[in-house]
Amino acid sequence: MSKLQIITKGILKENPTFVLVLGMCPTLGVTSSAINGMGMGVATMAVLIMSNMVIALIKNLIPDKVRIPAFIVVIASFVTIIEMLMQAYIPSLYAALGVFIPLIVVNCIILGRAEAFASKNGVLDSALDGIGIGLGFTLSLTAIGAVREVLGAGSIFGYSFADGVMPLLFILAPGGFLVLGYLMVLFNKVAKR
Amino acid sequence: MSNMNILIAENISSEVLEGFATGSVSVQAITLFAIIIGAIFVNNVVLSQFLGICPFLGVSSKVETSMGMGMAVTFVMALATLVTWCIQQYILVPFGIEYMQTITFILVIAALVQMVEIVLKKVSPALYQALGIFLPLITTNCAVLGIAIITVQKNFDLLTGVIYATSIALGFALALVLFAGIRERLEVEDTPEAMRGVPIALITAGLLAMAFMGFANVVPLP
Amino acid sequence: MKSSLKNMVLVLFTITAISALLVGLVQDMTKDAIATANQQAKNIAKYNVLNTTAEESTVVADTTRLIGDFQITVSTVKRTADDSLVGYAVEAPSITKSGYADRIVLMVGFVEENGIAKVNGVEVLSQKETPGLGANMTKEGNSLERSIVGKDAADVKFSVTKEGGSFDALTGSTISSRAYANAIETAYAGYLWATGRLDTSEEALEAAPTGASMLQQNEPEAQKGEECNE
Repeated sequence: MSKLQIITKGILKENPTFVLVLGMCPTLGVTSSAINGMGMGVATMAVLIMSNMVIALIKNLIPDKVRIPAFIVVIASFVTIIEMLMQAYIPSLYAALGVFIPLIVVNCIILGRAEAFASKNGVLDSALDGIGIGLGFTLSLTAIGAVREVLGAGSIFGYSFADGVMPLLFILAPGGFLVLGYLMVLFNKVAKR
Repeated sequence: MSNMNILIAENISSEVLEGFATGSVSVQAITLFAIIIGAIFVNNVVLSQFLGICPFLGVSSKVETSMGMGMAVTFVMALATLVTWCIQQYILVPFGIEYMQTITFILVIAALVQMVEIVLKKVSPALYQALGIFLPLITTNCAVLGIAIITVQKNFDLLTGVIYATSIALGFALALVLFAGIRERLEVEDTPEAMRGVPIALITAGLLAMAFMGFANVVPLP
Repeated sequence: MKSSLKNMVLVLFTITAISALLVGLVQDMTKDAIATANQQAKNIAKYNVLNTTAEESTVVADTTRLIGDFQITVSTVKRTADDSLVGYAVEAPSITKSGYADRIVLMVGFVEENGIAKVNGVEVLSQKETPGLGANMTKEGNSLERSIVGKDAADVKFSVTKEGGSFDALTGSTISSRAYANAIETAYAGYLWATGRLDTSEEALEAAPTGASMLQQNEPEAQKGEECNE
């Protein structure tokens, strides 16, 4: 697989949301608006790239049976460290992305990629995989967020066009399931062609 | 300090006034009943809090397996909350290392699941047969960690915390079993090709979540 | 790598030890910077809610009150040039009502004009509400902010409109909106307390409306509104 392919496969062929169905909890939880989806996507991508690299580095030192707990500890420490650094030195960015960061720990996408890719590949390839999957995740989340925001709040990226007349349901929990389900149908239809 | 006349603020509620008078606020008592109903129905962990979606979509294709998974999660969640609550109260807080919360809790849950597996195998092979295959899946169930953290955040005492976590897990089991029942029927239906599998499951979950919205405001939230 | 009990325990222990060490180090390193950043954000908010700047005005006094674990800080802000009073910036949490996830902490600016105390501005200092719903309270010009800024604080009813209050709730976020109203109420009480005008006698306590009675009276009406999980 070429380096470019590793990146591009994350966007369509192995799209984390629509094909791999990974990281559903944050996907549904934060996509109440396009900008939130994007924020979560970017924060996840940053953690994913770094955790993939670290795990690719130490993969040979870990016995098989404790692989998952070991990975989780690495990821959790990473997330905690990134959160503290951001809070201290880039408070403006923290104010925007802060709420998503603790959620990343419980995002199975990070563990999923550690398990499926980083534990079998080199450091560079793992970093590229992080970029690709991260991009795919960001795009999907932004798309879901945009649809929910348009249908539920009558605005797009915060620009309101139909204030207060749209069905709020799409911002609430059921709307999350419905929009993701129908977007997946659409994705399947288009990808099949 | 001010040259205004003394005015009596008639719009400040007695609860807030009492706070300023006595220096402490009385915590609004929420009954155990409200906590249980709230955790199972109103704030269902899967359908309204979006935790534990992966096992919800992955395991719930048969009613029987769903029940097994639900029971295993209930057991582990109650136990994990018990242990993490004690760790938070007696180790993390006294030593001022609350920032280690995520790492400790995750490790504890992973270790706990392993231990439960070993003990169950020795003590009750029958129960192990029933629950054993689900246990490894639970380590990666974000709901367990999520609820352990939320329970600590909510400042419950130990008993209330464990009851809360057990109710949340029962809510998880309920959603899982309900959903499996629907999916068993869906399997024999003729679904459009692009909808088969996860998409139709998500749409069904959406409708189920809508039904659960009917429980909103039934009890005050903890 | 093959697993044996020895290497399993050893590796997991080493990884945890290294991780804990790193996290501890970073925590130690960033502790002061985080505190400074938070303090700075608070200081800026103090001036913002009074429509002034650190160049024009100075905080001349901070009065702090502890209620249980909650801290209410009333800052008196004066114009640097002529020492005239700009107003009071009050940092207050929602002491008797929690939001959906946690308490909400606000900075509320009060200015005195012709003997009335006006709410001049509000900034959210901390909240953990749901993104897209309760978290909208941090957006500029949201319905909660609009329903309070510029009002005479003595006329405000501290609950949401569907319970007969003055606050236009955020769409789908009644609980968050109630906590927001409660934080403003605490701030107003704190401001009155700091300026020596809060009557906390037995009679005043008895005469005061209770949050619970307010809720019950309007229950049927509340049912008509949008029923949401937040």
